[in-house]
Amino acid sequence: MNQTVVSFLAQYEFFDFLTKIFGENSLLLTTLIFLIFSVAFVAVAATIGGLGTYAERKISADIQMRMGPNRVGPYGLLQFLADGVKMMMKEDIMPRTADKFLFYLAPLLCLLGVFATLAVLPVSSGFTLTDLNVGVFYLIAISSLVGLGVFLGGYASNSKWSMLGGMRGASQIISYEIPVTLSVLAITLLSGSMSFGKITDLQAGFITNWFVFHNPFAFLAFIVYFVGAMAETNRAPFDLPEAESELVSGYHTEYTGMRFGFFALAEYIEVFVVSAVAAALFLGGYNLPFHISIDFLPIQFVQLSILVGKALMLYYVVIWARWTFPRLRVDHLMSVCWKYLTPIAIFNLVGCAVWMVAFNGQSLAQLIFGH
Amino acid sequence: MFLNTLFVMSALLTVVSAVLVLTTKNIMHSCVFLLGSLIGIAGLYATLGADFVAATQVMVYVGGVVILMLFAVMLTGGKDFVSKAQNLMGLAPTMGNAWTYGVSALVGLVFLFTNIQLLTRLGTMSKLKNDGAFESTVNKIGHLLVKDHILSFEISSVLLLGALVGAAIIARPRKQ
Repeated sequence: MNQTVVSFLAQYEFFDFLTKIFGENSLLLTTLIFLIFSVAFVAVAATIGGLGTYAERKISADIQMRMGPNRVGPYGLLQFLADGVKMMMKEDIMPRTADKFLFYLAPLLCLLGVFATLAVLPVSSGFTLTDLNVGVFYLIAISSLVGLGVFLGGYASNSKWSMLGGMRGASQIISYEIPVTLSVLAITLLSGSMSFGKITDLQAGFITNWFVFHNPFAFLAFIVYFVGAMAETNRAPFDLPEAESELVSGYHTEYTGMRFGFFALAEYIEVFVVSAVAAALFLGGYNLPFHISIDFLPIQFVQLSILVGKALMLYYVVIWARWTFPRLRVDHLMSVCWKYLTPIAIFNLVGCAVWMVAFNGQSLAQLIFGH
Repeated sequence: MFLNTLFVMSALLTVVSAVLVLTTKNIMHSCVFLLGSLIGIAGLYATLGADFVAATQVMVYVGGVVILMLFAVMLTGGKDFVSKAQNLMGLAPTMGNAWTYGVSALVGLVFLFTNIQLLTRLGTMSKLKNDGAFESTVNKIGHLLVKDHILSFEISSVLLLGALVGAAIIARPRKQ
């Protein structure tokens, strides 16, 4: 049975009070709770995405010894709000020859794909919207909507820059899904489950229980996952779909105002999502380094901040990589995926399977230090 | 009750998108509506407790098939492909012979009777136990795949490998 936020809240006393008002198994109550939590998730994710643009500019400024945004609000923190207001005030231009329906749909598909992944994001043991049995699989599946949005955005604009960018984006996202999925499969093999909750619970305890340190193959799988995820989210050095030196701005060249904002926001939220997934699958997720009873409600917020903290550290690495490495060439990009990452990922998968059989599922630390 | 509502929403999405696939003139738009229909079917699977099948549906169709279809449509004409030949009623009589019409009539009859059978049982089917407490199907599917159905699993993987190698050979530049 799938654990959801509703079934988590049902164990507390105030829930009895709510069931008295709404009645047992009420449709309204379930919908309401899901609605409140979904809106909260989306709002927080959008804020993180917005702050991501600020962090990107600030960190890049730091790397290049500049100041970065520092006028709007303390340390320029409110810069992203000003940007958002500016984007909303802008004129909404659509090229005359564009495919109207697809042009409007594409940014929304991008956002939909990213927001749909939030449903299984394991932010804490209770507040996860729903802990699906096939959570990891669902997340990989639904995030391919982003690729579709990128592709349709490029196609619908009816401009050659956009078209090239969209085609590059679609082929890149489809290609890099393979090493990413194979690396995730290695973790599924180690944990014997596709549910985020169970995968995270298996990593409870000290740092040596994290799957990234489980065996050497899992460590490699983490690196392959991270590189692949960076390419899947179109981040530099893999940002060929929007390579501004060759394609103006790639698939969103023709988009103005908030429609462009949707693409940008989707990208930044997706980076956060893949960082959080990396944290949950490889870096112990929301677990505290010591055992504690999770029945106490404020613990949920501690777990929440632990996961978000880990995700933001990886987020920093993604931004850091963007301002450090030069962009790849298209043929290099494809050969990195198909000739290097995919064989390495398959090797990791087989290696993990052999490790599980050879050492009876024990991790490296267990073998060295005993139990 | 919650699942029933979601089921009805998924069913509506499936049916409305399927109708739009047929009625729209632009083939790219058809592809996008087909996407909605396939997602709706995934929703139907999910609300009926087949979580793994639902995720696979999204994985295979949304992530693979629809993108490939869009690529194929775009590379073979895109929106200029708005077909004048979609005048089905005018063209239908010339598109087959007695044999094809006979077969399609038979298929139509089977479909009709199956639907009548299903519809007459509607009252009893809605009384199925449906409290949201479905068992997970993933473990069972995994065990069945590598134990009872290992042969068919391997045969299909060899088939897919053949398709992959075949595609690579076709796409390979010819040596003069």
